[in-house]
Amino acid sequence: MEPILDIENLTKTYGNVPNQTKALDGITFQVMPGEFLGIMGSSGSGKSTLLNCIATVISPTGGSIVMEGKKLQSLKGKSLAAYRGKTVGYLFQNFELLDNLTGRENILLPTSLHEVPEKESLLRLNKLAKYLEITDVLDKFPTQMSGGQRQRVAAARAMILHPKLILADEPTGALDSKNGKNIMEKLSGLNQDEQATILMVTHDSNAASFCRRILFIQDGVIFHELRRGDESQQDFYERILKVMAQLGGGSSHVF
Amino acid sequence: MFSNLILRNSRRERKENGLFFTSLVISIVAFYIILSLSRQDVMIFLAKMESNAVNKLLLMIPIFYGMTLGILFFLIYFACKYQMERRRKEFGVYLMMGMRRSRLFTMLLAEDFLSSLLALVIGIPIAVLLSEIISLVTARLVGMGIIGHQFTLSLPAIGFTFVGFLAIKLAAFLILSGKFSHQEIGSLLANSSGNEKKQKPGIVYGICAVCGTGMLATAYWLAIGGLAWNKTGMMFLTLLLGLLGTILLFYGMRAVIALLVKTGNANRKLHVFTFRQIQENVIHRSTSMAISSLLILAALCCFGAGIGIASTNRQAGDHVLDYTFRDCIAENPQDALPHLQDVLKENGLDSQFSQLFEMRIGHVHTTENFEGVFQMESVMESLHRLPPSKERDILLNNLSYTDFPYLICLSDYNRLLEAAGKPVLTLTDNEAAVYQDAEFTNTGRAAILNEILSSRPVASLDGNPICLTGEIQSVNLVTDRSITLSFALILPDQQFLRYTLGNYDVYINGIMSQEAARGASLMTAISDLNGKLAGIGLGNSGIEYESYLQNMGRQLFYLVAASYITIYLAIIFLVVANTIMGVQFLMNQQKTGRRYQTLVRLGATYKTMCASARKQISWFIGLPVCVAAVSSLFGVKALFAGLLSSRVQETQGEMLLVSAAIIFLLCVVEYIYMNAIKRSSDRVLLTLIQPQREE
Repeated sequence: MEPILDIENLTKTYGNVPNQTKALDGITFQVMPGEFLGIMGSSGSGKSTLLNCIATVISPTGGSIVMEGKKLQSLKGKSLAAYRGKTVGYLFQNFELLDNLTGRENILLPTSLHEVPEKESLLRLNKLAKYLEITDVLDKFPTQMSGGQRQRVAAARAMILHPKLILADEPTGALDSKNGKNIMEKLSGLNQDEQATILMVTHDSNAASFCRRILFIQDGVIFHELRRGDESQQDFYERILKVMAQLGGGSSHVF
Repeated sequence: MFSNLILRNSRRERKENGLFFTSLVISIVAFYIILSLSRQDVMIFLAKMESNAVNKLLLMIPIFYGMTLGILFFLIYFACKYQMERRRKEFGVYLMMGMRRSRLFTMLLAEDFLSSLLALVIGIPIAVLLSEIISLVTARLVGMGIIGHQFTLSLPAIGFTFVGFLAIKLAAFLILSGKFSHQEIGSLLANSSGNEKKQKPGIVYGICAVCGTGMLATAYWLAIGGLAWNKTGMMFLTLLLGLLGTILLFYGMRAVIALLVKTGNANRKLHVFTFRQIQENVIHRSTSMAISSLLILAALCCFGAGIGIASTNRQAGDHVLDYTFRDCIAENPQDALPHLQDVLKENGLDSQFSQLFEMRIGHVHTTENFEGVFQMESVMESLHRLPPSKERDILLNNLSYTDFPYLICLSDYNRLLEAAGKPVLTLTDNEAAVYQDAEFTNTGRAAILNEILSSRPVASLDGNPICLTGEIQSVNLVTDRSITLSFALILPDQQFLRYTLGNYDVYINGIMSQEAARGASLMTAISDLNGKLAGIGLGNSGIEYESYLQNMGRQLFYLVAASYITIYLAIIFLVVANTIMGVQFLMNQQKTGRRYQTLVRLGATYKTMCASARKQISWFIGLPVCVAAVSSLFGVKALFAGLLSSRVQETQGEMLLVSAAIIFLLCVVEYIYMNAIKRSSDRVLLTLIQPQREE
């Protein structure tokens, strides 16, 4: 099977020569179709930089990101905008819903940007709304919704155009544990039922335990990888916690 | 370090809010121009002849100055408020880091002072230059290549501009910092994201919009029908209805826009987003939009009415006579001309005039009974027989008051005609020609009367039949255009003397000789001769005189005063309205900048977002401008109906055309302004998405 995303020796440097910071220092990994991949790391480890590079909001210093056979750095103008909206769907930590648009209008925003026929997008909207249990808040404004509802509306917006890859940036970061669990269940369900490919950045071990594979990043390099075999989510969660415990103390205690 | 921070902040502020800074400069220019009015060429020139009127106008300048200060205070207050609002987080950080409030206050004050100073340094030279240009242009426009132009720098004007501008800036600043100083650091640091207002059900807004429209329509109807001018109460009611109507209309407009959101093709790029943004702006700023709209309306009315009124005062007329003299002490009217000639000869000024001739004007004195001295039933009957028309009714009304007409001596009038290069009249003893000043007739009415006169109707003068003949005569009898005759009869000399019994007034008309006018423009020549005549003390000899120049000056004064003041006010209103709208839009765009960043992530291109923002600007500014433009059509017409005397009313159509053209011109100005804001918005968008946008 061809990987959907192929990242090769990615580097990103901030600042000028005397005080340069290497946010990413040669990262290489692949994402397979239908995969639910988590990326974990402490603050400043470079995980958000990595996500932003994939989302094309910042451009890497070196290495390559290949999405379905196309090198991202070669995209310009229209094809770049199309990539952002259609190929990847972005789920923000603090939802980033436009507060002067209703839920429905927020979800349909990408379809209007990319000129998708209305009928088709309405069908998709209804299906997503039903699955994400947001049918009755579609006509409300974000300020009238709870945090969980907002994140689910944001998820629907990220999913509306059938993106090849969903990039989730700490989706549970601004939610309480109940709502956080709920949105993770929905994402995981979408991953299983619709074979949606999800790449999630988080430092919430609980949220990470929904993933099938987790990459741990520290100081700009991948320093560990966990795969969830047939074990239960609880066991996987405990393995994650163990790795997290080591993260601060360097690599000497890692199995 | 501290001063560096001040310098940097002040520079950043000007850069980020160029629009506001430009308005500051414009307001300085406006201050200077109104204050230096007394130094304008035209005013210096007019002050020589119409010193009373000019002084009255100049006395009003402090009032205009005060009014301008008031209006500009609001502008500055609004703009400063948004600017501070935007920096509140920064203030919070300063305070967190241990800056004392007094120090923060000093810093802001210094920043503000620096910007103000820079605005003054840029504004004053522009103002001086502009007022010089205006001075030269008006002088050229009214044909006074004349009086040598002198560069004038009005120091008091500069002083008052400085003081006034700094005073309102300081006042606005103090009020605003007072408000901010009471806030806690926490609330300063928290990002206030457009405090959500509680929404009422849509139907309420719909009703408001309908009520507003209804009130506006009533106000228009009252204004146009002239009902508003009948009583002060009615005028107040009309204005109140207009004001409330506009505010309600803008308050309810969100319902209309909500409909647009739903009905439009949602699939068009960012259609929903664009209209939701417009709606949000309308919701948050409905009152200030209404006020902007009213200000633009005021500007349009000022411009339209000012230029309309000014253009009617410029009835050029044919210039024939240079001087008219009047002898106040000669007992016998026949002695007037010889007396004047003697006085001029004594002082060696006789060569200054190529012609001096009498203009004798009197009344019928052969009877004691002044009622029905003159009757022209045949003319009135002919008029009655004509199909009804507005012109016919006016004639019927005017001519019914002509039973005791002025009489004009034929030979004098013929000399006037000769001087004007027109064919002379010949009348037999029982014939008379009809004279009506140009102010009392127009082409339509003259045609009707000429048609009737061509049949040589017979009228009666003091019981004697007299045949009216020829065409209506309208050459100005004397220099002074304020002296006009609505109806007079031109009689042959013998008949004139017979009816007046030698009891008449004499005006002596003078035309300057080539010698006097040589080598200079007419105006300078008259001005010189005026000086000479004043030098010989003509007044002491009991001779009064009026020159073409004085007469022109009077006309000119009305023209300059009306147009100058109204255009000045119009510019102030326009600048304030546009700046309020522009600054509000751009500030709001800054405030909602995150939305644009989200759009980028959803795949919106820079071009799409600019297009959306441009559309928002078109609507946000276009709405008030359109409402104002519609209202102004009615407003200007109502102003004309109420302000102009009835004799000028007939040129109303022409004036309305002038006003319509002005309104169109102003809409063009608005369009240009809108484009400036659009460009500025494009730049703001670029900075909003820049950090994330490394394509």
